[in-house]
Amino acid sequence: MTAYGVGIGWRPEIAGFVAQLPGLRFAEVVAESVHAHGDLPVGLAELRERGVAVVPHGVKLSLGGAEPVEPARVTHLAAVAERLGAPLVSEHIAYVRAGGVEAGHLLPVPRSREAVDAIVANVRRTRAELSVPIALEPIAALFDWPDDELDEGAFLTEILERTDALLLLDVANVYANARNRGTDPLALLDSVPLERVAYVHVAGGAEHDGIYHDTHTDAVPQPVLDLITELCARRRPPALMLERDGDYPAAAELRGELDAIAAASGYPAVT
Amino acid sequence: MYLAAQGDTWGIPGPAFLVLYLTVTIAVMILAAIHRRILFAGDRRVAVDRLGPQQIAYLTGGEHLAVYAALGGLRAAGAIAGGTGKTLYQSGPLPAGVTPLDNAIYNAAGRQIRARELTGDQWVVAAVRQLREGLEAQGLAVTPARLKAARMWAVAGAALVLLGVGRLVDGVQNDKPVGFLVVALAVAAFATIRLLTRKRRATHAADKGLRAVRTQYAYLAPSQAPSYATYGATGAAMGVALYGTAALYTMDPAFAAGAGIQRIQAAGTPSGGDSGSTSYSCSSGSSCSSGSSCGGGGGCGGGGCGG
Repeated sequence: MTAYGVGIGWRPEIAGFVAQLPGLRFAEVVAESVHAHGDLPVGLAELRERGVAVVPHGVKLSLGGAEPVEPARVTHLAAVAERLGAPLVSEHIAYVRAGGVEAGHLLPVPRSREAVDAIVANVRRTRAELSVPIALEPIAALFDWPDDELDEGAFLTEILERTDALLLLDVANVYANARNRGTDPLALLDSVPLERVAYVHVAGGAEHDGIYHDTHTDAVPQPVLDLITELCARRRPPALMLERDGDYPAAAELRGELDAIAAASGYPAVT
Repeated sequence: MYLAAQGDTWGIPGPAFLVLYLTVTIAVMILAAIHRRILFAGDRRVAVDRLGPQQIAYLTGGEHLAVYAALGGLRAAGAIAGGTGKTLYQSGPLPAGVTPLDNAIYNAAGRQIRARELTGDQWVVAAVRQLREGLEAQGLAVTPARLKAARMWAVAGAALVLLGVGRLVDGVQNDKPVGFLVVALAVAAFATIRLLTRKRRATHAADKGLRAVRTQYAYLAPSQAPSYATYGATGAAMGVALYGTAALYTMDPAFAAGAGIQRIQAAGTPSGGDSGSTSYSCSSGSSCSSGSSCGGGGGCGGGGCGG
């Protein structure tokens, strides 16, 4: 896969900032915010004209649900990928609805053999409609289900191998999960197939009452940047991107975060 | 009965007079429009995209919007805040590289002026005048002299109205039917009022440049929920300049509402269905009719929107 270097999650709130990053070659957009056939959001078309790769990132497919993915949502994701000329798409290993009830956010899937089968079936259904590869992102979870049969590494490895999907690794939630459970984040890096990593999410978080939350609205802490360096020492992923979802800081501060990711990964600065 | 020539008012048959009257009225309108086009052409060589937010704001929304654009910039820079009773106060140092208008507003905030009284403050008024005169000298804003010249056509309109009234009086005394004459007179009167009251701030050259600026800063539209913390003071000021004071309400609703900021729309933005503020600046006639059809910015790239 092409090396894109440091990227950023494109959001309408900071579209003017993203447009002015001279070295940018990679961005991600929430797939559900793009019309499959209408006008692209303001500023996104200009990024595409500049040759920036824009990857649609689904949040509502519910690949981790027990029921099959909704065909209309898969069709939309595939159409958006075509519309953006995207090199790949990504989605979460999580469920957002069950029995017709919308949870409104991403919920963790129990790591059971049964769940693996359901996810594999859903990923295959999705891939059948896509003309580009899909990268799967495990989510941060504050708890483990009591009936987990597999550890995180084995769970992910099995899903990726059986579906031939790529991995979207979120170093911030690797850090959050390890910190909240008192485990070693490096052990997880060593237990997943790093050669399958398509790109990496980097986000900030904050601690409340002893629990670290992967908020996406705070600064990226140093331990997350250190984890990037550790990851890149093992195998440097083609792209790493800053994921900021709110409480956007001053432009100088955002540029500082992008530069810190570049420094930690050894990619050139995009600012 | 019109064909019976006996006793025609002023010796001219009614239909002939009506045709002549309406022809002259339309001719006056056309000549006035051509003259306006020439008077308000402006200078196309000036780069509108080099203007500051306050200058853009004057062109899109007038003097008050220029003041509010500066206020938005100063607020985003943390230089001023809103106090009790809709007053302003200085909450931080004046940033570097400010304009005379910024300076005037900052000093007025030092006197705890009420936000709505800013536009009447003598130093603010002087700074706005300076800003306006600069734009006039560059051929971007219409000068009062040219606006007056354009309004002289109302004299021709008034003459037509007087003529029509004279004919109406004599016609009624002669017991002639005057229904169509009343309609023609209404047309002439309406045209005259338009000629006398139509305003215009930005020249055609400025309007053309503004459309490009609006596309360039489309990310500042309130519908994008722009992060003003990221875009900084200049972004905040430009947001107000291009999208009206609605941008101030998006940026800092507590401040905008607390200070009682007037709702002012910028010309060329689609009206957001905001009650009570429809087309405040859209009384400026032709500048608005081209603006509103070109609203969203998307459909107007190829230069097919007049200009």
